Amino acid sequence: MVNEFIIEANNLFKSFGDFVAVDNLNLKIKKGEVFGFLGPNGAGKTTSIKMMVGLLRPTGGQILVDGKDIANADRLKIGICPQDIVLWESLTCKESLKFMGEMYEVPDDQLETRVESLLEDLILMDKANTLVSNLSGGMKRRLNLAMALIHSPEIVVLDEPSEGLDPQSRRVLWNFIRSLRDKEGKTVILTTHLMDEADGLSDRIAIIDHGKLLRLDTPKNLKKEFGEGDIVEIHLADSKMNQEVISKLKTMETIDSVTEVDGKINIRTLNAVGKLPGIMSNVKDMNTEIADLSLHPNTLEDVFIELTGTSLRE
Amino acid sequence: MKFISVAIKDFKELIRDRRGLFMILLFPMFFMIIFGIVYGNMGQTNETYNLAVVNLDEGAKMPLTNEKVNFGDNLTEIFRDVEYEDSDVKLFNVIDTSESSANKLIQLKEADVMIVIPKNFSQTTVDKMEDSITAQTTGTTSSYNNSNNDTLKLIISGDSSSMGFGVSQVVLIKIIDEYQDNLVVNIQSQASGSSVEPLKLFEGDVESVSGTESFSQFDFLAPGMMLFAILLLATTVAASLTKEVEKGTLARLRISKMRSFDMLFGALIPWSVVAAIQVLILLTVSLIMGFNWQGGLNSILLAMFIGVIGGVGSIALGMIIASFAKNDTQAFNLGIMVVVPTSFVVGAFFQLPLVVIGEIMGRSFQIYDVLPWTHILNALKSVLIYGNGLSAITYDLAWSAVLTTIIFIVGMVLFSRFRLSAEN
Repeated sequence: MVNEFIIEANNLFKSFGDFVAVDNLNLKIKKGEVFGFLGPNGAGKTTSIKMMVGLLRPTGGQILVDGKDIANADRLKIGICPQDIVLWESLTCKESLKFMGEMYEVPDDQLETRVESLLEDLILMDKANTLVSNLSGGMKRRLNLAMALIHSPEIVVLDEPSEGLDPQSRRVLWNFIRSLRDKEGKTVILTTHLMDEADGLSDRIAIIDHGKLLRLDTPKNLKKEFGEGDIVEIHLADSKMNQEVISKLKTMETIDSVTEVDGKINIRTLNAVGKLPGIMSNVKDMNTEIADLSLHPNTLEDVFIELTGTSLRE
Repeated sequence: MKFISVAIKDFKELIRDRRGLFMILLFPMFFMIIFGIVYGNMGQTNETYNLAVVNLDEGAKMPLTNEKVNFGDNLTEIFRDVEYEDSDVKLFNVIDTSESSANKLIQLKEADVMIVIPKNFSQTTVDKMEDSITAQTTGTTSSYNNSNNDTLKLIISGDSSSMGFGVSQVVLIKIIDEYQDNLVVNIQSQASGSSVEPLKLFEGDVESVSGTESFSQFDFLAPGMMLFAILLLATTVAASLTKEVEKGTLARLRISKMRSFDMLFGALIPWSVVAAIQVLILLTVSLIMGFNWQGGLNSILLAMFIGVIGGVGSIALGMIIASFAKNDTQAFNLGIMVVVPTSFVVGAFFQLPLVVIGEIMGRSFQIYDVLPWTHILNALKSVLIYGNGLSAITYDLAWSAVLTTIIFIVGMVLFSRFRLSAEN
């Protein structure tokens, strides 16, 4: 029987002294999906990823790669594009890819083709013989990704690949990630801070915080769970009135939830446009003025904030 | 052969980082120049060295004339009479003594050098003459000869790291060479019958020894500086390896199919080339600064080979440092903290007091001998100062190879354990 899951984390646990970085994480990643890993800074994303690729030894639990324990897994199956740009500055793009290919024992006849193809796909062909030190930040990011793919791994782990990219480079990257899944059938594990990136690319998303898995579902289901529809954001002229207004609005039956986010009142409801007159009327009854008001559809970011809160993480 | 790919990659990085390469090659050169300027003229005064002569020669009767001769006495007289070139200062203050006393004199530093003339010295020489004459007169090769084919051995010994021994050894070897040349000429003239005069060898005809006027302290420091440069490689290698850890490139390699051996053996190749080039550059600079280099092209090649072995030891030391350093600055600082004391301990700049801990293969084994660079320095001195060949440095080369292998294995195990396995 063919295993549906390519990576399984069972009761994965990692602590550094008293600090628990990953707390009994259980998840299964399907073959051929783009799996989004979301969480605030320090939530345990990179630690989990490092354990999944064999760079970090777990304190407890087990990781299976294609049914085999990570210690005995075939290293050719995994390619990792780290969060930081990890390149040899004194080598050219071509030399870097060729060297990594040799380290993965890619046969010579295939290596040349793969180098050319990756340079072409990631729009680096013009810079094939340019030293890495002379590349722009975006080019280095793309080469960083190419280095993870030179041995054509089944699982591609991308740790915040869009960090520092301009919108053009980001689009090139997103199209490339989609093509990895759609054309080559690869499994992509993606960690990101960009909600639109996770929303647009991921088939399923795991939200983790404090090392624990909070939710694991499709972006659509996550948004549905936390309220389909729209978000109305009200900024009162006198923010001291926020809690009183929130209490009043909570009495409206047609509103799903009302919370305070960053000094603003955040109202989640279906068909917000139709309910706006009622909301405005309630606020007016409290003898306070609205300084600003905005309305937008419910996003993954709203779900993320709902689950992980707004306090700053370092 | 992934280690070849690693070696090529490292080599490219090395030569493309011109500023780094410039520093690696030029930093020791500046030291050499400064030492050359400071010590270049030191020690050029015509100093008389204390020579302990252990003359065990029992003498012999000359063929044809039956005259009694003692070549050992004769040679001792030459040692007593020999003077510096263009000077009337004696080279040696000869002390006639026994073997045990001579050893004590060396240990107490009351003698710079000792020479042992064997008891059959004259007899063997005479036997060789007789064989030669017989062969000449009968027209045959000596099948019924008196002498065996053993070469006479005049054992010269002393503290190999002292300047006095260095100068004395060179001079003694030159005198003995002349002795041999004269001996051969006399044998030939006896055999051809062109000379009926009794043999009167070595009668003070060696008055001065050419080259002896120019030895300076710098001559004995130059190989030490070369060793210092080789040892400094440990800091550069440690910083370079730590940089791979810090930048994350090592983590990238760790999840590939590369093994520790590929990474470390691959790194060894370009750095060994650097060590060999360093020896060559430093030898050139030291020659410009007035170093009295003995030997020909072979000695340069041999010195480069010794440099490579020393370089491998330094690279292994660099691996050990890189196993513990957290960043390249720390690696560099830690490297300096290790390399500078090591340079002093192995005698790169001056000799530390003798601390003998045992005897191996008839040689005293000092506490400093547990480090391969002590042997590397001995070998470099032997080749470059005394013009010795491979056979003279076999002992030191063997020790340095064994000790370097041990350090390399330790370096590889530590680096693999702390840097190439999954983090805890």
